[in-house]
Amino acid sequence: MFRNMLKRSFLSIRRKLGRTIILTLIFFMMANLVLAAITIKTAVAAQMDYAKSTLGGTVTIQADMDAIRESQKEEMEKGANRKEMFKNMVRPAVTVETANKIAEYSEYVKDYSYELSSSANSADLEVVESEDDNRMPGGPGDRMRSESSSESKLDKDITISGISAYAYISGVQNESFKIKDGTYFDEDSTDKAMISYEFAELNSLKVGDKFKIKNVYTEKTVELEVIGIYDNSDERANANAIYMNTETAAKFLSSDDYNDGKYNVSNVNYYMINSEKANEFVEKINADFKELSENKLKIAVDTSEYDAMSGSIESVGSFATTILIIVIVAAIIIITLIVTINVKDRRYEMGVLLSLGAHKRNIIGQIATELLVVGTLGFILASLSGTFLAKGMGQSILESQIASSAQQSERNFGRPGTQMGGSNNGSTLPEMPSDDASNGRNMKQRLAANRTQNVELDINATPIDFLLLFVTGYLVIILALILPSINVLRYQPKEILAGKE
Amino acid sequence: MNTLKVENVSYSYMNASGEQKVLRDVNAEFKAGKMYAIVGESGSGKTTFLSLISALDKLQEGDIKYNDKSLRKIGGSAFRLKYVNIVFQSYNLIKYMTAKENVEIAIDFDNRKVDANKYLKQVGLSEEEGNRLIGKLSGGQQQRVAIARAIASNSPIIVADEPTGNLDEDTEEKIIDLFKDLAHKEKKIVIIVTHSKQVAGHADKILRLRKGKLS
Repeated sequence: MFRNMLKRSFLSIRRKLGRTIILTLIFFMMANLVLAAITIKTAVAAQMDYAKSTLGGTVTIQADMDAIRESQKEEMEKGANRKEMFKNMVRPAVTVETANKIAEYSEYVKDYSYELSSSANSADLEVVESEDDNRMPGGPGDRMRSESSSESKLDKDITISGISAYAYISGVQNESFKIKDGTYFDEDSTDKAMISYEFAELNSLKVGDKFKIKNVYTEKTVELEVIGIYDNSDERANANAIYMNTETAAKFLSSDDYNDGKYNVSNVNYYMINSEKANEFVEKINADFKELSENKLKIAVDTSEYDAMSGSIESVGSFATTILIIVIVAAIIIITLIVTINVKDRRYEMGVLLSLGAHKRNIIGQIATELLVVGTLGFILASLSGTFLAKGMGQSILESQIASSAQQSERNFGRPGTQMGGSNNGSTLPEMPSDDASNGRNMKQRLAANRTQNVELDINATPIDFLLLFVTGYLVIILALILPSINVLRYQPKEILAGKE
Repeated sequence: MNTLKVENVSYSYMNASGEQKVLRDVNAEFKAGKMYAIVGESGSGKTTFLSLISALDKLQEGDIKYNDKSLRKIGGSAFRLKYVNIVFQSYNLIKYMTAKENVEIAIDFDNRKVDANKYLKQVGLSEEEGNRLIGKLSGGQQQRVAIARAIASNSPIIVADEPTGNLDEDTEEKIIDLFKDLAHKEKKIVIIVTHSKQVAGHADKILRLRKGKLS
């Protein structure tokens, strides 16, 4: 009887071709959407893991503005002169030695960076005139300029920007900063620097040329060799910014500030292996480096890059989940209706089979076999096309999410002049407290938005995705069979056949 | 000897005018090797009687026993599968199958491996006709397929409702001979419900249903 059940199923599928085609199309469409949703969810999970490892968040050591303001308030209450107080104020900073020690927590830290910046000038060199007052360097000069009392003088200064690694120059990661000629500096590039092509043209400098500049505060002069000429397409970039490694930048410090190599650095950033462990890392630093908080420094966690990217990707994932649920529910309803109608249409056939002694479970088995065979056909076809649909759908949803978050980013952070990069060397410059952490965060969010725009979901169905598709599909079929099966169980052969007679 | 006994069977149904008695205390005994004809006017309860002895309907009162085993114990589905095969007046064939495939259902249900063409040939259908879909056959041909399906099953009881109603005289003769052979040679119980005096005339025993009573 079982063999005959299979035979009847296949005959029914083959001979009732119209119904088979319609059912196959329904299963095909359903399976396409299910596979697309499953594939997108897998891609989202993979992308989230990737984002966690590549955008693990940043932990920054920065001035504790609240503590500084509190201290200033106390001083003023004691009768301190406001002007004198600000003039003599030294911005809290971390030494390069401490920065390096913290970086030794290799279970948390993937990489780290810091800066050492100042201003310089030269009688032999001209500076590039800015077209507007809003230009920002991608380097530290402008913030110092805006905070300096000698603004007009600094306007004509060259910005010395010592950075622990070339990769952490603002603009390198989002590719607005590119090398036009020569190469980049590394830790061995002592007395070598990168200059902008505007600065190079103005002063007829080329790779290999040497020039001297003098720190405006320490009056120390250092001869630098042009190792590379860069082009920074960011319209707010400072064309007078000269980039070098921190060891070279430290040569501009006074011997007191150099402090036998234990000089202060700014913009100390630790790039996390996993953003989820950032807070644990901060707790560890606070416990092991108590002098930081005593020196009015605080450790801030910034996972904005990860958050910005994961936000868009997670939206795609949620959308895929919604699609999956809707499709499954819709498929159960549609297939239930189709099978119910089909069972009603085939009452007579079932009556005949019952009259011949077929068990009702054998008849339900026939309907189930037909659905499973047609469903399998639909699922196989969908396996061929579902990945393409998933790619189109996933990328299109992601793009709309990115567009939406980019608009949000522009609304929130699009104000001119809010660019990261304000820095100081901590002791030789007249420091003014400013909320550069906020500027830095905004810049990171802008960077994250830029980076998110380049995100592409790697949507490719895995064997597990296909397995999930088939399991989901078969579950849908089983659920859709419940109601029609109850109908079949109620059938009595005499009633069916008497109706026919 | 296989025997089908109908003992004190009564059957009624409810309609707008109240309870309608269709069968009243019916008793009968059908033995293997004989062909029976059940005759009666329209509304005499022939179809209900046929439904009960073929287990298409549930017994209300009385009992039907096959070899002294109650149909209630055997179960309707098992009885239809193992002991009885029915030839319906309206053929009751599955439309999306060929004539041969319809016959094969009965063979497969018996778990036998026999060529269905053998039974189609017995009812006068060629192999080519056997490969046609049911819709491509005439009423008479469909009736013959229904009979072929009934004889193809190994059931000891064959119940037929007006089996020759759509057949020409020659074929009717052949089919009646076939039923007679099934009864006499293959020792089956053959019960035919018919209006045809000619068909009834071939039966070993004629039972008349009148107002729900069998005589």
